[in-house]
Amino acid sequence: MKAHANAPLVPTAWATIGPFFPQTFFREGDNDLTRMAPDAPQTARGTPMWLTGRVLQEGGGPCVNAVLEAWQADSEGRFRHPRDPEWRLADPGFYGWGRAWTDAAGRFAFRTIIPGGYAEAGRPRAPHINLAIIGSGIMGRLATTVFLPGFVAEHAADPVLSTLPEALRPLLIAVEDGAGPDGARRYHLDLLLRGDAAEETPFFED
Amino acid sequence: MTDLPDRFEPLDPAMQPVVPVAGYPNTVRRNPARAPFRRVLTRTELTGPLDLSGKLRPGDDNLAVLAPGRMAQGQLIHVGGRVLDEDGRPVAGAIVELWQANAGGRYFHPIDQRDAPLDPDFVGNGRTRSDGEGRYGFFTIKPGAYPVPDSGRWWRPPHIHISVLGPGSLMRLVTQMYFPGDPLNGIDRILNSVPDVAARARCIAASVLPSEIEGDWLGYRHDLVLRGRHATPPL
Ligand SMILES: [Fe+3]
Repeated sequence: MKAHANAPLVPTAWATIGPFFPQTFFREGDNDLTRMAPDAPQTARGTPMWLTGRVLQEGGGPCVNAVLEAWQADSEGRFRHPRDPEWRLADPGFYGWGRAWTDAAGRFAFRTIIPGGYAEAGRPRAPHINLAIIGSGIMGRLATTVFLPGFVAEHAADPVLSTLPEALRPLLIAVEDGAGPDGARRYHLDLLLRGDAAEETPFFED
Repeated sequence: MTDLPDRFEPLDPAMQPVVPVAGYPNTVRRNPARAPFRRVLTRTELTGPLDLSGKLRPGDDNLAVLAPGRMAQGQLIHVGGRVLDEDGRPVAGAIVELWQANAGGRYFHPIDQRDAPLDPDFVGNGRTRSDGEGRYGFFTIKPGAYPVPDSGRWWRPPHIHISVLGPGSLMRLVTQMYFPGDPLNGIDRILNSVPDVAARARCIAASVLPSEIEGDWLGYRHDLVLRGRHATPPL
């Protein structure tokens, strides 16, 4: 490793977004991972889906005005990012990132496609969507990963999901919940920020 | 493209806020009781959108002028600096979002119903993108202090909320910037929830001498350091 001219710096301290994160920052389509821009068409590749859920606080009440940021692979498990050896093959019409916010009932929704799995360091990652939650009172960000039902063997092999005690793993697996307004499959997962050990959503160190 | 980080050191807990914060019940209700699990970092964790400007459109870096001839009330200021990684290298193309209260300490937000004046010429949020040298900047007004409801006489010092999205999911930061010399800084419960004194000091902007800046804006300089490459030698 070569030496650098600048002395290392310490990352700036996080703080809460507070109660007044501007609603005007959100635009139609921000929660749609399938478009390169709000006015671009949805990608033609992959199987469309919705991820919906609620963000709940201690006691099970809604966490309103929370902001969720989602990031996931395309339908073939690729990222348009040079750290992915196949990044040049990634779906050029799939954005992979989106931002949603919770309403008065704590509800959020993302429009996306079913992510592909990928192998890294000899270990297969199951299809998954990474979520980060920021909100009033959250002094950093809460990072978690949502998995989809039906990938039993993939879940058992996933190095992130299998980090968790077995009893907690179902807390990160969404359930199928009918169809969204456009007929696409809908998956649902509630995220409990604080609660009994058996119910509190598992979060990960960043 | 070749400049993307390949290492992420864990955040140092002494440099980050500790919860709960007295008088801020949401720091209890919304923070997990269980410690976070350590996970391996694979591609999903390490990558992120390289260019967010298609989604989060920049180009709104003047909060002080709502429209031609409609200027916000308050002390006109310029807040700027650089977005850097842990090696002090500039982070180009980062999205920087900023929001704040008006000069009277009230937000243009339906949740803020405090009995303080709203300024019809101030909304108080903007979004820009760091340039090739990592520089960002906003023209705005100095925000007022405001009391936190039901908190036992806790007033937030004047502060500006800043959100930064760099080219990777881990190059994410939400922070608050404070103004030098304000007596409320020393007793603010959010600023002081960061244990390390030097880390707190880095949340306070530096005054720019009038001789160093052009125009009729009082200058503040504030650098933002994202996680990323780190010069610490390997084992
Ligand atoms: Fe504030």
